[in-house]
Amino acid sequence: MAAFDIVGKGVPRTDARAKATGSATYTDDIKLPGMLHGRLLRSPVAHARILNIDTSRAKALPGVKSVITGADIPPVRYGNWRLFPNLQDEYALARDKVRFIGDEVAAVAAVDRDTAEEALGLISVEYEELPAVFDVDAAMRRGAPLVHDEVEGNVSLDRKIRYGDVESAFKEADYVRKDTFTVQAVSHAYLEPCSSVAQCDQDGRITLWTSTQVPYIVQCLLASTLKMRENDIRVIKPTVGGGFGGKMELRPWEFCAAFMARSTGKPVKFTLTRREELATGRRRHPMKLISKVGFKKDGTLLAKDLKILLDGGAYNAMGPTATFLCGNFGAMLYRYPAYRFLGLHVYTNKPPASAMRGFGAPQSLFASETQMNLAAEELGIDPIDLRLKNAQVPGDEIPDVATISSCGFRECLENVAVMSDWKKKRKSKKKGYGVGIGCYSFISGGVFNWFNTQYAFSTAEVRAFADGTVHLLTMASDIGQGSDTVLKQILAEELGLAMQDIRLTTADTAMTPQADLGTWGSRVTLMAGNAVIDAARQIKEQLFGAVSARFNLNVIYDLECKGGRVQAVGKPERGVSFGEAVAMVQKTNRGKALVVRGSYTPRRKGLVTPAFSFGAQVAEVQVDQRTGLVDVKNMWTAHDCGTVINSKSVEGQLEGSLHMGLGYALSEQLVMDGGVTVNDTFLDYKIPTALDMPHGVSACVPTYEPEGPMGAKEAGEGMVSPTAPAIADAVHRATGYRCMDLPITPEKILSGMKNKG
Amino acid sequence: MIVRFEYFAPKSLDEVLRLLDEYGPDACLLAGGTDLLLKIRAGAVTPTAVIAIKAVKGLDLISFDTTKGLFIGATALLSDFAGHPAVTKHYPALRDAALATANVQVRNMGTVIGNLCNASPCADNAPTLIAMGGTAVVESRNGGRCVPLEDFFKGPGQSVIGPGEIVTSVTVPVPPKGSGASYLSLSQRSRVDMSAVGAGVFVRLESSRIAQASIVMGSVGPVPMRASKAEAILAGKRPSAALFARAGEAAAKESKPISDVRASASYRRQAVGVLVERALGEAAARAKGD
Repeated sequence: MAAFDIVGKGVPRTDARAKATGSATYTDDIKLPGMLHGRLLRSPVAHARILNIDTSRAKALPGVKSVITGADIPPVRYGNWRLFPNLQDEYALARDKVRFIGDEVAAVAAVDRDTAEEALGLISVEYEELPAVFDVDAAMRRGAPLVHDEVEGNVSLDRKIRYGDVESAFKEADYVRKDTFTVQAVSHAYLEPCSSVAQCDQDGRITLWTSTQVPYIVQCLLASTLKMRENDIRVIKPTVGGGFGGKMELRPWEFCAAFMARSTGKPVKFTLTRREELATGRRRHPMKLISKVGFKKDGTLLAKDLKILLDGGAYNAMGPTATFLCGNFGAMLYRYPAYRFLGLHVYTNKPPASAMRGFGAPQSLFASETQMNLAAEELGIDPIDLRLKNAQVPGDEIPDVATISSCGFRECLENVAVMSDWKKKRKSKKKGYGVGIGCYSFISGGVFNWFNTQYAFSTAEVRAFADGTVHLLTMASDIGQGSDTVLKQILAEELGLAMQDIRLTTADTAMTPQADLGTWGSRVTLMAGNAVIDAARQIKEQLFGAVSARFNLNVIYDLECKGGRVQAVGKPERGVSFGEAVAMVQKTNRGKALVVRGSYTPRRKGLVTPAFSFGAQVAEVQVDQRTGLVDVKNMWTAHDCGTVINSKSVEGQLEGSLHMGLGYALSEQLVMDGGVTVNDTFLDYKIPTALDMPHGVSACVPTYEPEGPMGAKEAGEGMVSPTAPAIADAVHRATGYRCMDLPITPEKILSGMKNKG
Repeated sequence: MIVRFEYFAPKSLDEVLRLLDEYGPDACLLAGGTDLLLKIRAGAVTPTAVIAIKAVKGLDLISFDTTKGLFIGATALLSDFAGHPAVTKHYPALRDAALATANVQVRNMGTVIGNLCNASPCADNAPTLIAMGGTAVVESRNGGRCVPLEDFFKGPGQSVIGPGEIVTSVTVPVPPKGSGASYLSLSQRSRVDMSAVGAGVFVRLESSRIAQASIVMGSVGPVPMRASKAEAILAGKRPSAALFARAGEAAAKESKPISDVRASASYRRQAVGVLVERALGEAAARAKGD
């Protein structure tokens, strides 16, 4: 493996100082002269026809500058799935119907936030309430009320996967089991609530600063909904305080800010409250998963038949992608000779679910990993041994998906068993004590072009200067995951420069090169990283040519960029500083600036992802058998993310994943009463605190991903998945209670123990 | 929501009492504000006057006297209270309750007495203070009165404090020889959270028998509630694990919990029994000087 100077090191994040000192500028920090403040009127009912909206009293309130409803805006439906327009099912403001409590009905812009809030109370909306559906079974029942009149049966999308002969494989199987699992809705709970500021210039062009993961997608969809040209919209992503999948679509406040900035001539800002975020915001899909698996006596997997019903809420959002992916995650870790999947995305009258860290994996893997543990128990095989027997290895082909290139899954399993002292701990009969295991596989970005972009998936522009510095411009969006740092590291490594030699401009659709699909599905390091390398190599080609000519080098000499110099390999005296080399190229080109563009689009990589990552995790718990409280003592993790670009970032990602996985396992849940989200504050939406975090030990299994930049692939998103099944397995060892419906609450443990006698 | 109110920050108690008298039921007292400001923002209370009392000198006093016992001033912070040497030494259960309240940031702003006056059934500081015989000192322009904390709470968010009145302090007697107390609480998120259930107990031993026992449960009724039947089981008996288990069971039966988003009634009932049993064990150990 190549030795690196900067890649692999725990280089401090470029934004660490700004965030630690509070000087980082988030969208809500932006204040423009004359700026108005917007608020949204949301539906108080789950399902209703809008008969009439009277905004006259709100408009008459002093300080109110604009009040708009669905009738005032172009009737353009939008959604991220541009490739299939029938899946684009949202209007920025409701037109005919409201479909969930919180559906956006009207918007107000006023001189201050309080006035805007007061004006909301003066808008009267006449609703004709309609019967509503709140779970997938009710929604799919014959004659159920339709959430969208044109979608029969409330199933907006189905996804099928089929390979091998499932029926005869089950007939051959010595052991078959079928289980039903359910998982709950959870919130992204990013610390920065959604916020957007729009400004309209004299020529009618819009600039939108917004807390988003996908500036390019927002730009395009804003253009279509405003009936403007894409190039007349500029989207800028300031510092973002987390997204986790919850900020990857055009949202009504982004539209309203832009629309009202244009109509009033003044900048308009919207910032959501935490209550809005929790009560009406995007969430992880609740799912019902019915899984049947067949094994030979010796533990060899023969077949799986998986059906997943996704409770999508009132709109598709990113549900179609989650529907596709949860089927892939159902058979990504192990070799299934036969596999059948049916995924149904079902509308209900609840806040829409969408992408969230793991994108279908946490749900799918909770079911499939728990089922592996159930099967191991009944087959009398150690769960790690059962996994080792069936684990994917490099070169395995997942039919219709891809051939797996790098894969360190077996090494992860072996590693985590040693790290955790698995064999010994697993045998412990200590009361209330248990260890358990869960594993994951994940994607490094998606291949399927649902947004139907005409551009490369990721692009990077590099400008080199005679003073020895470079300027990297990319639309890749750092939303807190640290991609700014990682992309600079990759460029610095390629060009032999130091971090401080690189100026970085990102995520501004008018200034950074078209395009980048944004931050989701763990795509940025691999895709934008590859684009950066492509650009860097073009720069190097030109520098090497100039240096080669200057020293009259034999063509067989190789050259390198190293330590701020461009030189012949092994003969550093035949070389010049990076800046001098740039000057030479410029002179050669008679003053033309040294600017290149690199790009990356996955090709010949199937329709799912260019690279797969893997990992295994062991949880150790102590359960209070009288109160049912679970104390997660230790977590051991071994994972395969290819080359580690930034060791501190990977560590941070793992900690964050563990934290989110812990909440998903034990305490987080958006509690619904019909269409009402009951726990809409952080008091009752229970995110684990720092004190709840277990002690964690992790190891990176060294692999090299040929498709990734410098061998790197996904890190930290997939890791959110194994935690819940690992803890559930440990709780089962500790108490006899086997969780089939997340989260694992003290009450469920106690009643589970009672049922066991 | 636009909330408009007059804001006062008087420097003397006389001035506080005058303002309370003037604004009557429309006035709200502000100490740490950790409950009040959230309520105002949510529109749950709509005061016309907010009277901040943190500027009143001496109101944050915490003191201990071997005859009069513990004195907790109206603006004594939860964190100062929990860290006070006398509290740590003589009232470890009160310290535990203060430390079980919310999180560090809230304890640095919020006050012990504010926690009581907010009158939440899950107020962490109430059960043990009641069990240890605490008394609220209430003052108004028309004079003062003392209210045993046991009679202080009237319902969720409601106490005996009327318009024009302020709790200026809470006093707690000196723990008698051979006594011990304990506070235990739990919630689903186990370490920093609002309690789903709590139990504060006090026991006094005489010749190895339980001469006095007080059990007060939090979050299992509209107010912090006494478990008298469980107390009766303990009276005159020798402390033992089996006895405490029986008392716990009795307490669970007496409790009147509701189901809400934080826990179901049946879980609360079961858990409060366990907490009472365990708190009795800890209190008895403290009483024996273990």
